[in-house]
Amino acid sequence: MSQSTSIGRALDDERAFKYLLIAPAVFVILLIGLYPFIKLILTSFQNITMFDDDRSFNGFIHYARLFGDDRLWESLLHTAAFTAAALPIEILLGYLLALLFLDPMPLKRLFVAVILLPTVISPIVAGSTWRLMFDHRFGPINQIIAFLAGEEVKLLWTVDPFLVWPAILVAEVWQWTPFMFLILLAALSNVDREQLESAQIDGASWLMTFRKIVLPAITPVLFVAVLIRALDLVRLFDVIWTMTGGGPGTRTETISIYAYQMAFREFEISYSSAIAFLVIFALTALVIFALRRVEIAR
Amino acid sequence: MNRHRTLGAAASAAIALALAGQAAAQSSAERAAEAAKQYAGTTLNVFYEAGLQPLDPKNFTGPMWEELTGIKINVIEAPLDEMFTKIMQAHRAGSGAYDVLNVVPNQMPDLAFAGVLEPLDEWVDQYGYRDELSTIAPVYRDNQMMVEGTTYGFPDDGDVLVLYYRRDLFEDPENMAEFKAKHGYDLGPPKTWQQFNEIGQFITDKYAPDIYGAGMLRQPGNAQYLFQERFRVEGGKFFDSETMEATINSEAGVKVFTEMVEANKFMPPGVEQWGFIEAFNAFLAGDIAMTISWPPVGRWAAGYGKGTEALAWIPETQVADKIGYALPPGGTPELAVGFSLAVASGSENKEAAYLFIQWMNSEEISLQRVQLPFALRDPFRDSHFTSEEYRSRWPNAGDYLDTLKAGSETGLLDLSLIQTDRYEEGIRQAISSLWAGDDPQEILDELAESWDALTERIGVERQKRAYLDWASKPNAYPN
Repeated sequence: MSQSTSIGRALDDERAFKYLLIAPAVFVILLIGLYPFIKLILTSFQNITMFDDDRSFNGFIHYARLFGDDRLWESLLHTAAFTAAALPIEILLGYLLALLFLDPMPLKRLFVAVILLPTVISPIVAGSTWRLMFDHRFGPINQIIAFLAGEEVKLLWTVDPFLVWPAILVAEVWQWTPFMFLILLAALSNVDREQLESAQIDGASWLMTFRKIVLPAITPVLFVAVLIRALDLVRLFDVIWTMTGGGPGTRTETISIYAYQMAFREFEISYSSAIAFLVIFALTALVIFALRRVEIAR
Repeated sequence: MNRHRTLGAAASAAIALALAGQAAAQSSAERAAEAAKQYAGTTLNVFYEAGLQPLDPKNFTGPMWEELTGIKINVIEAPLDEMFTKIMQAHRAGSGAYDVLNVVPNQMPDLAFAGVLEPLDEWVDQYGYRDELSTIAPVYRDNQMMVEGTTYGFPDDGDVLVLYYRRDLFEDPENMAEFKAKHGYDLGPPKTWQQFNEIGQFITDKYAPDIYGAGMLRQPGNAQYLFQERFRVEGGKFFDSETMEATINSEAGVKVFTEMVEANKFMPPGVEQWGFIEAFNAFLAGDIAMTISWPPVGRWAAGYGKGTEALAWIPETQVADKIGYALPPGGTPELAVGFSLAVASGSENKEAAYLFIQWMNSEEISLQRVQLPFALRDPFRDSHFTSEEYRSRWPNAGDYLDTLKAGSETGLLDLSLIQTDRYEEGIRQAISSLWAGDDPQEILDELAESWDALTERIGVERQKRAYLDWASKPNAYPN
């Protein structure tokens, strides 16, 4: 009895020592991650605006306002639609590029490095560059189209409501397809060659090989890549801000741009906190759902 | 002993009198520089609109001030539409990031009520600047300096939107005859917007694609000022003064929006994206016959500043001896933007900051500053308009200054309310939707709705007081 007690005490001491060791790291993480989150929630229940510094509890007034705010729901719709459009394109193009680079080829490393260049550029710079590319007078895009069409064209890419989303899509896909390419190249490189060869010998079609061998092998990596990119797209700000500023009107306003406008242009600090909480809540729910679906959390 | 004491007192009095006399003989610029020497070694952070504006403190006043006082000037820049945000953010964070602020006058009440700006009256009296403030052109002095009777800034930039036109085209006998035969009145600077449209269309029909009738500021940030002006010229009122409901969606608003879209048809393709740079580039290149813009365009188009390193990026003017200056249709130009110099309440060097702005804004130094070809400060003092030196800068500089002076007399103030920037943001978005092809009435209905919601949140009575105070000023609406 006394022996088991002493073993138990030794284990407790060991556990306590472990907790003690990780305590500083946990404290820092809580400070960095949890404190702003709690502050955000608290602020969303106050009423801080440009002139009012009302820090008393104001109930759910800002959350109630969310439901009647058409501009908010429009910006969420823009965000969802753009994510739904950009993500498959990036996956498809990234996959095709990865296939291209799967086999040995001369100067492969150099080409891979060149393809990856857009991802290391700041999104603000990328957005500004594409804004110039799409400029109606000096931009090469209109000049190329004019050359092909054989007549002068004046497409207003950042003004025309039918052109503005495609323009943003081009910029976003240009910058982040290489990310997908890199992840998928790594994943495809690890697909079992013997299985592929066996499938080929057995006469399996390309589609069958992809569905039964390639896709299962790359799914975990692909899932992580899709998750990262989807979260990035939901938070999309820089490229749109530099290209259109959310315009024309509010046609390209994403949830991040709207939250920024509310917080730093209109100084609706408490309301923008409620928006931010809504976004965090929605994203967390989405990520948990996705993780459960793929069971990757295990 | 007593005799010695009396002699000592007399000597002290004589010295004090002599010093007082010397002080009286000093200009306000000299007084400010002299007093600022006690702060030698400090650095003032000066907040400016990004672009050409800060070349003044960087290349001209900053080095001068440092030589005179030993105080360094550090310039921090932000785009115009972010200035209010940056100032408020710095104030909210208590960062003390700025000492001297350039404040857009219609945002001054917001900044003063938020406690961002330091009251200046005590220093104005202490350093004897009151008299020189009174010689600032009345429209700027009376509207861009005080909030509820307290001085928060010194008007420092005589912004006004002026019509620039090609005299060679307007005075061409063939054009004159053809135009008169077609429209029944003489070809000349348009007095109404209908005339503007007819003249613009006439020139485009005859000369395009080499020359278009006009090219205007269409980027929402710029175009909102043209809209504010034209809306009032057409008889529009921003709000119902009884109920404080937005009336921006009135017949006048819809008419202006509709005509703005129509007018684009006789302007160069893609004009919807034109801002200040695009418009003046086109005017200097001789591609357009009319434009309405800020005063620097008139100087640069005349070739003033040619050869200046800082202006090397500006295309050489092709119209130097062909420009005419006039007030825009309606004769009541928008006093768009403008800047007042102010002291940040969060500054740790408030007095030094004050002395710097008194020195910059003084008769003596400001006359030099408004003549800097590379900076964007425009004449704002009576003495600037009448300066013989300035009037001799190029052949028709006198016409230019007379037009600016006339504009300063009849000009319309930018709308100024509590949280002005949010109302203006609504106009900017509305214009952006206009160029995207939306229906003018629907856009303005939506704008009015958003303004009403905003007014409701701010407080109808509170906003009404602010609006009525602004609307009661002689330059709020055309007389």
